[in-house]
Amino acid sequence: MLEIKGLGVKVGGEEVLQDVNLEVGTGEVHVLLGPNGVGKTTLLMTIMGMPGYEVTKGDIIFQGESILPLSVEERAKKGIGMAFQKMPTIPGVKLRTLGELIVNESSDFLKEVAEKLNCNYLLDRSVGLGFSGGEAKRAELFQLFLQRPLLSLIDEPESGVDLDNINLIGKALSELLEREQVRTKKRSGLIITHTGYILEYLNADMGHVLMEGRIVCRGNPRDLFTDIKEKGYQECLRCER
Amino acid sequence: MKVKEDYLREIKERAEKALNKKAPLGPDIDLNEFYLCSPQEKVNSVENISASLREAALYAGVELGEDKSSATYLQVNRSAVYEKIQDAFQGKLEIMAVSEALEKYPELWEYWWGLVPVDADKYTAFSELCPAEGYFIRVFAHQKIEVPLQACLLLSEESRIQNVHNLVILEEGAEANLITGCASVRGNENGIHIGVSEFYLGDNSRLTFTMVHNWGENFHVRPRTVVKMGNNSFYSNTYVLLKPLSSLQTFPQAIMEGENADANFQSIVFAKGNSYIDVGSSLLLKGKGCRGNSVSRVCAADNSQVYARGRLISYNDEAQAHLECKGILFSKGAEIISIPELEVYGAPRSRLSHEAAVGPIEEEAVNYLRSRGLSREESLSLITRGFLNIDIPGIPDVLRRYVDEVIRLTSRDIM
Ligand SMILES: Nc1ncnc2c1ncn2[C@@H]1O[C@H](COP(=O)(O)OP(=O)(O)OP(=O)(O)O)[C@@H](O)[C@H]1O
Ligand SMILES: [Mg+2]
Repeated sequence: MLEIKGLGVKVGGEEVLQDVNLEVGTGEVHVLLGPNGVGKTTLLMTIMGMPGYEVTKGDIIFQGESILPLSVEERAKKGIGMAFQKMPTIPGVKLRTLGELIVNESSDFLKEVAEKLNCNYLLDRSVGLGFSGGEAKRAELFQLFLQRPLLSLIDEPESGVDLDNINLIGKALSELLEREQVRTKKRSGLIITHTGYILEYLNADMGHVLMEGRIVCRGNPRDLFTDIKEKGYQECLRCER
Repeated sequence: MKVKEDYLREIKERAEKALNKKAPLGPDIDLNEFYLCSPQEKVNSVENISASLREAALYAGVELGEDKSSATYLQVNRSAVYEKIQDAFQGKLEIMAVSEALEKYPELWEYWWGLVPVDADKYTAFSELCPAEGYFIRVFAHQKIEVPLQACLLLSEESRIQNVHNLVILEEGAEANLITGCASVRGNENGIHIGVSEFYLGDNSRLTFTMVHNWGENFHVRPRTVVKMGNNSFYSNTYVLLKPLSSLQTFPQAIMEGENADANFQSIVFAKGNSYIDVGSSLLLKGKGCRGNSVSRVCAADNSQVYARGRLISYNDEAQAHLECKGILFSKGAEIISIPELEVYGAPRSRLSHEAAVGPIEEEAVNYLRSRGLSREESLSLITRGFLNIDIPGIPDVLRRYVDEVIRLTSRDIM
């Protein structure tokens, strides 16, 4: 589904990623780990095609084709979607209006998804305006759910979310990424997490540790997590698993 | 009667002296370049209103022929051509041509130029000296009329001065929602509209006034509005201008004489082309406990120039009001000049505040929407619509939807 080859990225003139190699197969969910500020968000933003993230080298292949020439909206139309770490505020634009634009009408599907992500009471508020941390996370996933992308890029879905809502978000993500289906999985995910809580719900296939501008380690996500908890990220640089 | 004649004569004399008086704000217009409007025949049914007039009305937000409003006044050029009060509202209010009202109720002379100074500038002076027409609306005491009243003023002739003088009286405890749409008929690109409006709000009354303008590209528009407010009265004034024109200058004023009067002005402006737009509002907080807001949302594109003014003047220790101006600039040639004025006279405990922000459209928001699959144009238009879509205090849901619809309709080609 997704193949990143030797990717280098500059943000605001700074080289943040140097040589990232990463592959996510169809139906797979991968997690991306790494200390604050190493460029995890940068990587997702670059895959999404957000302006301001300048690819200096390498390539991003989605479903067999390089997507580097595509604009952000073209990538969205191809089936890439993102739940952002930070939600912007758009005064006067209701979450409902945006939702309707995403699904192209006001449908029962929209209501269902809002219900599922406990977003009903947010629908008539301006996008992001005064949303609490947890509300913003749910509103992000609500939109992602409406988009039903083939590849979901999810930036810290559970940071700042209370336990009840983690449960809700975890289940929703599991449904979005078709984790319960055995053979027919066709949607993939790349998820950034610091806490690992989300692993309880997703049974992720692979974990990657991003440091010093490249993936320094990969493996079973639960094992990676246990090691990092015990020995810290610095150990990842040495271990070269 | 002597008093009345003296008053009217004095008004004329003052007007004559002011006929060449430039307005302090806005480009000076030579009125001699325009002709007077001609009178029009009355119609007795909306079916007899031409399609082009109806279309013009629609673009100013007024749907003629629908019985969604409690009462309708339609003026074309210099004449009231259609007036109607729905049966359910008979006896609760009056709506008619102001010339007719002045004949029918001679005592109204006391209201005529009672708020707007006739010699304010050449436009008010002209309005007095040349034949004017406009609407007269009176809502009787304690009548609460939720269903909007609509007034529509259209100009179909080229290079004319449309000279309007309106009078609105809300008696004690009366409530009403008034929509006014002013527009030139499609293809009529050149003219000037002078609109004098004098609104009298009795004690405990409540008026929301929503005015939408839609003029041809070379139009000059000079509304002159003053509202006088009694005890515990509420006034909400929303002005919407989303189409390019040559120049507009207006600075409506609320004179808040009564205690606890509450005035709210909203200006929603999208300036395009070479529009010169000078809008704002001024609140004279005189009574104890008076409060209010003056809010503007301005988008300036192309080579437009927008002055957004707000003036809060307090004379009472217990008055409180807030000024807010937000603007988005879309091009290098566009200008927004925000001019706030807070003035306090002998009332050191009054609270006046002001907040302003001018800047570009937030690229972060644009890109966010694009990541959901919207094109750049769709994103810009959605954000712009949201930006203009401000909370309007006191208006009923139908009017809220109406303002949304006007913004939607006229902003389809916003970029
Ligand atoms: N617009 C920008 N201008 C300059 N530097 C930037 C910009 N955006 C990101 N950076 C820098 O790039 C680096 C990577 O940031 P990024 O947000 O990708 O980190 P992250 O791994 O997601 O961190 P966190 O775990 O804290 O979310 C940081 O040092 C950050 O300050
Ligand atoms: Mg991040």
